[in-house]
Amino acid sequence: MSALATLETGLLLGLYALLSGIWGVLWALAQFRQNPIFGRLAVAAYGLHTLVALTIVLWTPLGIGWKCLIVGSSLVFLALPPMTWRLLESTHQNAGSEHDREFSQHSPRVVARV
Amino acid sequence: MYRSQALAIKYFSAAMILFGVMTLFGLVSAYYYLNPDFLFGILPFNIAKIIHINTLVIWLLMGFMGSIYWFLPGELGRETAGIWAAEALFYVFCTAVAVVAVVFIFVQYGGSNEAALWFINQGRKYVEAPRWAALGIVVIMVVFAYNVIGTAVAARQTTGIITVLMIDLIPLILLYLIAFPAISNMSADLFWWWWLVHLWVEATWEVLIGCIMALALMQLLGTSRRIVETWLYIEVALVLGTGILGLGHHYFWIGTPSYWLTIGGFFSALEPLPLLGMVVHAVYDAGAQHMKTTNRPALYWMMAEAFGNFIGAGVWGFMITLPQVNLYAHGTQWTVSHGHFAFWGAYSCGVISVLYLVLQKTRNLAFVDGSLWKWSFAALNLGLVGMTGALLVSGFVQAFVERAMGGSTLNAFISGQENAWFVDGMVARFLLAIVFTAGYFVLVWDVVTLGRRAPAVAAVSPAQ
Repeated sequence: MSALATLETGLLLGLYALLSGIWGVLWALAQFRQNPIFGRLAVAAYGLHTLVALTIVLWTPLGIGWKCLIVGSSLVFLALPPMTWRLLESTHQNAGSEHDREFSQHSPRVVARV
Repeated sequence: MYRSQALAIKYFSAAMILFGVMTLFGLVSAYYYLNPDFLFGILPFNIAKIIHINTLVIWLLMGFMGSIYWFLPGELGRETAGIWAAEALFYVFCTAVAVVAVVFIFVQYGGSNEAALWFINQGRKYVEAPRWAALGIVVIMVVFAYNVIGTAVAARQTTGIITVLMIDLIPLILLYLIAFPAISNMSADLFWWWWLVHLWVEATWEVLIGCIMALALMQLLGTSRRIVETWLYIEVALVLGTGILGLGHHYFWIGTPSYWLTIGGFFSALEPLPLLGMVVHAVYDAGAQHMKTTNRPALYWMMAEAFGNFIGAGVWGFMITLPQVNLYAHGTQWTVSHGHFAFWGAYSCGVISVLYLVLQKTRNLAFVDGSLWKWSFAALNLGLVGMTGALLVSGFVQAFVERAMGGSTLNAFISGQENAWFVDGMVARFLLAIVFTAGYFVLVWDVVTLGRRAPAVAAVSPAQ
């Protein structure tokens, strides 16, 4: 890897991870605010993330295995916020129904007797 | 108040003092880069750096212990077992830290003999404490583990969080034992030394702070136990799954087999995934609560923890984690930048968040807010982000000029150090370290005077 490619690849990898975070945050905000602007910004952030991923794949001297990892991670990043959200909603709903049954939120749920 | 909680307050006080010592020696270390003659013949750079890093480890450890001593009695409904031993060892711990610091500052070096190893410096980077003090740390951690496990046994019950904590304390203690053996083969020595450093920071500490944040979330936002425990299990699985074998991303230039580089690069490249999940979770929690809480600084510091962890450990780490880049970036200011951001995001913000929770209870405040915490929050975070940005620029120069172009020769090292971008980065780092230090003093002022300087803060209801 040339000297310049080291810097470029490092920066692209950082940008790649950062855009995945921005996508996640904007996607989550879009769910709360029900505001289409957040939704569009989230899509734009993921679009940029994909663009950076493509640049890494096509332009950097990383090996094929690492490029596959980048593509695979991008797909996981795409699915992660909705999956996390669904899991959060499901756990909160279950916890809410427990609360309705007048269980204290703070009472220790004993998982084992010593 | 339980005696354990009174002890927690002492631990937080000691942690805040050591946070200040760490900041001061960080500032001094940063200044050496601008003026290498600074304190010439009095305090060498490496000693200032040792104190900076060791106090970082100790103040966070004390913050973690304070947090556990605070939450444990409430969690298990009884006084902490063996609290008398913990109380006595707190003073031993503080005295030992002070003695070691005095030895580092005034004695500095010893000969190549056993006496120096026992009484001056054990010689391993980041765990330099002399052997007597290192043994003391083991005793303190064993008693800490006994406090947690003994309390669960005496209470005849445990919870999911406490079970995870108890399991985590075992490797936490065992891994520290790697600090002791004197291994003459340097490759073997560094191989095992990284187990201590990496697996403390990216495995056992991650689980520990996960347990602490789970307990804090229940107190701060009233989040249900079921939710925090579910997420704690997921986090532990993902962090350990990606973190343990991520160990290989440190194995550069020390003679370890090259397959470690691939293993380390692959698993550490997966580390941003759980961190992104954590960020989405933070947004969900903040949105569900509409950012309303009775303790705003605690909530904001907790949010900073989630975002800081993702950016510092995830983004900054991802830049350098693949072997092709790591080969050149390893050990440069680039990694220093990552280390600063990751420690801040993953641990420091969490400890400060718990500190505000403790203050709310001990000072009997209905609502915690004000302007001082906002100033400290802004100065500390801006200072830290600025410092890491400046270090990043200097690190780029080192990786580019010194490593990739120059081939890591002495001449290349000098060229890198003299490069205008490197020097400017170091100047910017020092200036932003001053901003960070100012933020620390505002934080201390806020913590000391909270609830005392403005009765209105205590009187305002959460609804307002």
